[in-house]
Amino acid sequence: MTRSAGGHNGGTMPRAGRAVTDVARMLALVPWLLERPGVTVEETADSFGVSPTAIRRDLHHLDFCGLPGLGGGDLFEVDMIGDRIVVAMADELRRPLRPTPAEALRLVLTADGVAEILADELPALRSAVDKVRAALGIPAEVADVLADEPTEVLTALRDAVRDGVVVTFQYRGRADDQPRLRTVEPWQLLVDDGVWYLQARDVTADGARVFRIDRMHAVEATTRRRAQAVPTELPVPLFQPSVDAAEIIVELDDGAHWITDAVVCEEVMQVSGGGVEVRLLTDAPQWIAQLVMSAGGSARIRSPEWLRMRVHEQASRGLAAVE
Amino acid sequence: MSATIKVERLVNLTVALLEARRPLTFAEIRRRTGYYSQGDAESARRMFERDKDDLRKLGVPIITRDVAFGDDVGYLIDRRTYELPDLDLTRDEVAALSLAVGMAGVEGMRLTWARLAARSPDPVALPAPAVRVLIAADAVESLADPIVYRSTVAFTYRAQTGEPARRTVDPYAVAQRRGAWYLVGHDRDRDALRTFRLDRIEGDVDVVGEAGSFTEPPKFDLAEALQRPEADLVTLTLEVDPASRWAVEARGGERSSSGVDPAQPAGPETFVVHAFDPERDLGWLLGLVPAVRVVKPPEVVGRVVDALTRIRDGHASGESAAGPTGGTR
Repeated sequence: MTRSAGGHNGGTMPRAGRAVTDVARMLALVPWLLERPGVTVEETADSFGVSPTAIRRDLHHLDFCGLPGLGGGDLFEVDMIGDRIVVAMADELRRPLRPTPAEALRLVLTADGVAEILADELPALRSAVDKVRAALGIPAEVADVLADEPTEVLTALRDAVRDGVVVTFQYRGRADDQPRLRTVEPWQLLVDDGVWYLQARDVTADGARVFRIDRMHAVEATTRRRAQAVPTELPVPLFQPSVDAAEIIVELDDGAHWITDAVVCEEVMQVSGGGVEVRLLTDAPQWIAQLVMSAGGSARIRSPEWLRMRVHEQASRGLAAVE
Repeated sequence: MSATIKVERLVNLTVALLEARRPLTFAEIRRRTGYYSQGDAESARRMFERDKDDLRKLGVPIITRDVAFGDDVGYLIDRRTYELPDLDLTRDEVAALSLAVGMAGVEGMRLTWARLAARSPDPVALPAPAVRVLIAADAVESLADPIVYRSTVAFTYRAQTGEPARRTVDPYAVAQRRGAWYLVGHDRDRDALRTFRLDRIEGDVDVVGEAGSFTEPPKFDLAEALQRPEADLVTLTLEVDPASRWAVEARGGERSSSGVDPAQPAGPETFVVHAFDPERDLGWLLGLVPAVRVVKPPEVVGRVVDALTRIRDGHASGESAAGPTGGTR
């Protein structure tokens, strides 16, 4: 797995101060609480994806909101019974604020992208997306995610994950020069912006591994069941360098910036002329060489010397063969 | 002004403009809320303008109207535009949406979900699906308003061939296919339906037309429109060493019938790869060099030679053609 940390945190909130972000949440919080008298702070924080502290802060503000001359000056009456919240009044805000077009489009596309892939497992998502599209005015003619027909490899892997059976396949990892036969207990498939991965326990290596599905072939299901239970938490895995990893320095022009997303960089330094120089640790230098080749001249190995020479030789041999 | 007071002021301003039956002038807003009276009149007015802008950024539809008397303007929140209508989601639907939003893990989307679910029943518990889907729709952000409000946009576009050029487009739709995002719209200069890859747009998308600057788009098939960029796809003929055969097969490569040299059973074989994008897929091909060699078409051979020449020169020993190595650390 090659994702760098924090790749999915593109914010959808307008670039505004905390006060504005808090107000956005409070305008949704009021109808939420009116609909659920007695809900706890923790449950509410979970639903909104924020800390209980943020919810408590919102409640404190709401308690102080009010316009003069309106029923003694209170818009909201917030009562806490232990950890349970009861709000009263606030009739003007009984319905949530409609999401902006950007928020609506993002939500619809995300849900639609998931529905394309999980139509069978989450049948309710299709009808939910249709209702959301209708309410927010984002029909399929305006925004859509189109998925390809699943390949044989994918279908076989999904069945294996569902049935909990061991599978075997040929796989070329980052450090492998040749594909090797792997035997794994599959846990979960992962689609990251259109790229498919399998998270599994490698039976031979006896450890958790992530496999790119486009590096896999000859997938076969066995009749053996999974011997170990699937872990309850499956994080998006990151590459952990081992102690004997090689240090590599690569210079990247603008066109090769994507490499910083494909590897975990120890350090990224700006260089004169607009490019960057990245320092990274890897146990698979040949894989880095391949990335540099893929960048087609926009990336250059600075060190170690032997890897620079290897890329030079690979390019020279490639040229000799076609010229 | 402290953040605490600002939060309460923005909520109270929202309520004041929602409860009003007719547009309120600034003087009336001051009386109703008790704010914007401190200090000199000009800075109080500026504070009101900032608050109004902040609320509009959140999507609060504050509209401005001329009032009957004087030359003042009045402000009002259009309740029908403000309020999200009930979606009547079932418990399963709320749960499915929650799962989809949770998987994507994009900041801010949880709040959008909470608005949609605010007046719906609480979700059922769902088992984790076998596939986890991550999808980042950041690329479409700048096109959302123009598509929904039908405003013409302009941007600099780097087509597959040729220099980057300015395009003026009525944006009809955005879509993702095979991990790439596209805009489909009416190209005003070419007077035709065109498809643009969002990652080839350079710089910002500028809104150049008023809302409603084009009428309802004609009926068109989004899936079909996205096929258009593939008109540029080519079929490759490759010579493949046994060690890399798997990689070509994984990309859908087919062994051509005349592929195997009977005198050399362990030698290279000939493969064809269909639907190859000479620009997007070139990196894949370069990553397989020298175990894979392109035989045709000449256009791709040329691109490979150019790229390999750059790679070779960039990795020459000593003070190389890649430029000075000193002074950049």
